[in-house]
Amino acid sequence: MTNVLSLLVVIPLAGLIPLFLFRKDERAAKQVAITTTFVELVVSLWMLTQFVPGEAGFQLVERLQWLPSLGISYLVGVDGISVFLVPMTTLLTFIAVLYSSGGAIKTRIVEYMTAFLLLEVGMVGVFVALDLFLFYIFFELMLVPMYLIIGIWGGPRRIYATLKFVIFTLAGSLLMLVGIVAVYVASADPSGTRTLSLPDLIELRGRFPADFQFWAFLAFALAFAIKMPMVPFHTWLPDAHVEAPTAGSIVLAGVLLKAGGYGFLRFGLPLFPIGVQAWLPVLIVLSVIAILYGAIVSAVQKDLKKLVAYSSVAHMGFVTLGIFVLNLQGGVGAVLQMLNHGFVTGALFLFVGIQYEKTHRRMIADLGGLANMWPLFTTFFGVFVFASLGLPGLNGFVGEFLVLLGTFAFSGAPPLGGLFWGPLAAIGVILAAVYLLWMFQRVMYGPVREAYRALPDLSRLEVACALPLLLLTVILGVVPQPFIAYIQPSLDRVIRLATDPSFVVVAFK
Amino acid sequence: MTGVDIAAVYPEIIVTAVALIVLVADALLDRRRAAVALPLLTIAGLIVALASVFYVVPAAQYFRGFVTIDAFTSFFRAVFIILAIFAAAVSPAYLARRGVPAGEYYAIICFSTVGAMTIALSADLITLFIGLETMTIPIYVLAGIQRTDRFANEAAIKYFLLGAFSSALLLYGFVWLYGITKATDFVTIAGFLAAQGIANGPTIVALALVTVGLGFKAAIIPFHQWTPDAYDGAATPATAFMSVGPKAAAFAAILRVLLGALGPLGVDWSAVLAILAAVTMTGGNIVALAQTNTKRMLAYSSIAHTGYILAAVAAAKAGPSAGAAVLFYVFAYGLMNLGAFACLLYFDLEGTRGASLDELNGFGRRQPLGALAFAIFLISLTGIPPTIGFVAKFVVIQPVLDAGLAWLAVVIALNAVLAAFYYLRVVVRMYMYDPEEKQPRLVSGRTLSVSLGIASFAVIVLGILPNSIYQWALQAAQPLVR
Repeated sequence: MTNVLSLLVVIPLAGLIPLFLFRKDERAAKQVAITTTFVELVVSLWMLTQFVPGEAGFQLVERLQWLPSLGISYLVGVDGISVFLVPMTTLLTFIAVLYSSGGAIKTRIVEYMTAFLLLEVGMVGVFVALDLFLFYIFFELMLVPMYLIIGIWGGPRRIYATLKFVIFTLAGSLLMLVGIVAVYVASADPSGTRTLSLPDLIELRGRFPADFQFWAFLAFALAFAIKMPMVPFHTWLPDAHVEAPTAGSIVLAGVLLKAGGYGFLRFGLPLFPIGVQAWLPVLIVLSVIAILYGAIVSAVQKDLKKLVAYSSVAHMGFVTLGIFVLNLQGGVGAVLQMLNHGFVTGALFLFVGIQYEKTHRRMIADLGGLANMWPLFTTFFGVFVFASLGLPGLNGFVGEFLVLLGTFAFSGAPPLGGLFWGPLAAIGVILAAVYLLWMFQRVMYGPVREAYRALPDLSRLEVACALPLLLLTVILGVVPQPFIAYIQPSLDRVIRLATDPSFVVVAFK
Repeated sequence: MTGVDIAAVYPEIIVTAVALIVLVADALLDRRRAAVALPLLTIAGLIVALASVFYVVPAAQYFRGFVTIDAFTSFFRAVFIILAIFAAAVSPAYLARRGVPAGEYYAIICFSTVGAMTIALSADLITLFIGLETMTIPIYVLAGIQRTDRFANEAAIKYFLLGAFSSALLLYGFVWLYGITKATDFVTIAGFLAAQGIANGPTIVALALVTVGLGFKAAIIPFHQWTPDAYDGAATPATAFMSVGPKAAAFAAILRVLLGALGPLGVDWSAVLAILAAVTMTGGNIVALAQTNTKRMLAYSSIAHTGYILAAVAAAKAGPSAGAAVLFYVFAYGLMNLGAFACLLYFDLEGTRGASLDELNGFGRRQPLGALAFAIFLISLTGIPPTIGFVAKFVVIQPVLDAGLAWLAVVIALNAVLAAFYYLRVVVRMYMYDPEEKQPRLVSGRTLSVSLGIASFAVIVLGILPNSIYQWALQAAQPLVR
């Protein structure tokens, strides 16, 4: 069956129907949401088995006429870059919903689950859409549910945080809309036929003149840079994360940020090779700044959740650096880093949330000695902290190592080559170890506080949420090769498209 | 005048008949029966009129060239009638509560709609002007229909004075055109101007006067001053209708005159329109940002939407897609803006005017479905998919870029961000604040809820499947650019 991707888009929507029917019954609503996201997860894993590794092109493609008068079609498909992002999304959503139904969310459960299912439609859709119009719709569809999730179920400053999040994101995405329409207008062939289908656009990108690429890439890059977020557009992130409910943070960090990096790889690089070259120095400098700045700012945070939030800025810096060094190691590293960050930072937010539910404290200074009471918690949390700082054997190492390799190999024109940026980025890895270990020490060790002595260790539900992430962290760290084999061919094509403007791919018809 | 001529204007005749029947029925029926019968009569009659729009007469000129029937006419006729049905459906509970004379109210809406439809079918300056006046004069009455309310009186007077002023300007412009071309029908005018080639002094004067006159009607900055007070002071259902019907009609007139008759003029007027569009959308949005009263905020935001529509007019040289964008946006705007204003009817309590932001607190809990509809309209007005408002933005930006006005496209995008700020602030109030201590009971009419439900559903469905409407708009825009 080849319409598995549409199935993935439709399942969460279908889940809304029983959710509406059971809107008076909170227990049933939870069960509906858990079932729906679980089915979605299973189908996404099945999709993975349908995917043939080793091919560069899009697979499981579906195309339907949608707006014939505008030449826009419903076009979905996956390649090596997106094939893991979809199951990552469904897994993190399932975990978020599962964790939320354990008592973390107490008010308006039905609306909450509705928002999560809608969010899942947007997130999955973003990673499978191959038509820019469709992509934009899914990209924005992620926005409103997350706006509600932060604004309704968030912390004390939730309204400030959620408006900031929405306005930042909208500013970027509306400019991208102008960019998308500009691409649409520029795609016209002599007979006036226009398209927004990505495979077609890649084929005819020779029609985009250099100055057009310069501006169009900027329009796209702003949207993705805000979503990632890249420095200096990151200021919404700490606010949003601190105020968001735990499950919201998991999905926000785990999935929504990836839409930015994915967008660069999927649209920015292949469509505008000349534009990319023009902006390359800026993007690389900003990436390295993000790595160092994110790490330094994390180190001085007093709030545990904010620390994890800023560490995301640094990690996303590695992703963008890997993308913009425009070579295979860097690119593969960036994609792996996106997956790793999804699992690891998702897990870190989960544990910060669990910890907060128990102690009701988030300030690092108020915590301490937790390791003595919570052996299970300590083990899990420890593994994720080590994965986040890039310990060999865990997944974080693989991604960052490949990105650094790629950076050292980078020989581009910007002021200084890879031999300058590589060591600087490597300092970021060391800084990550500093702030994460320091945090771990202050939170987990030291004298036990009397107030926390009676608090229980992880519950069965919490273990169930964390275990899949733990397994993936180890598997991706020990045997990354099978994953790389999926990613590599597609990524290789993207890099060639980005580095050689005359490289032509004739897409499927 | 022949039978064919009559057949060509069946929809207008039916709507007029509906208005007259409503007036007679109002006189015959007692108050209680009238409250039920009049809206039903109006809606049923308008639905018949809507069906008659699709009764095909060959696209041609009728009444010796005073009337033209083409896809453009049908599109606007349908839009006007749909908006009138919507406006009639949301009103009954309000009218009963506030003691507004229902018969007059529905009749006025029908008369105004006839005027708007006349604009859409005009092939001549005289028909167009008659249509314009037939549309606006009932609206003056509508604005002041609550005779004892001093804000309504203020609204009506302001609207009337500026409306009369702008009509005079427009008419003066028409006179200049007549003086120059010795004709009042669009085809001859266009032919004359095309033959003349380069624009000279008198044609520029005529063009400027017409632009200003129609600019008043459409509320383009700096000719917008009447809008906020008129919208704010009028009865809320009247505002809902006023904010969409006449605006749509003004754009029908702008397309017919500026793009149709004056199209061949050898002067690049698009730069002027583009600047007006940018000023209008930015000004409307910035002032809307500062409002704490939702009704006034929506009034200013409707000015901003005028700017978006005008941007598509400015992009006329992009071809039919520009006209289609105007048509599509007008339809989308009508649906979502009328819906948004109508949602304020839930807050229409004794002693309040419009709805301050505080009154909206916790609306999401007090009236879940009403709040959902309101949220959908606001998200659509912001331009976030999957709503019709997003598609409307998309189809407007496209001709704007096609016409080489990239800066204007960026201005549109940035304005949408500004607008998001105040639209979403309402959503914040509805869903993220708790209701105040004493919760005044919300009012709800059944027809209000049902029609809002249908409209908000349409906003989403047409946002996902806009093809047929856009196709129709594209067809309707063809005759403009021949």
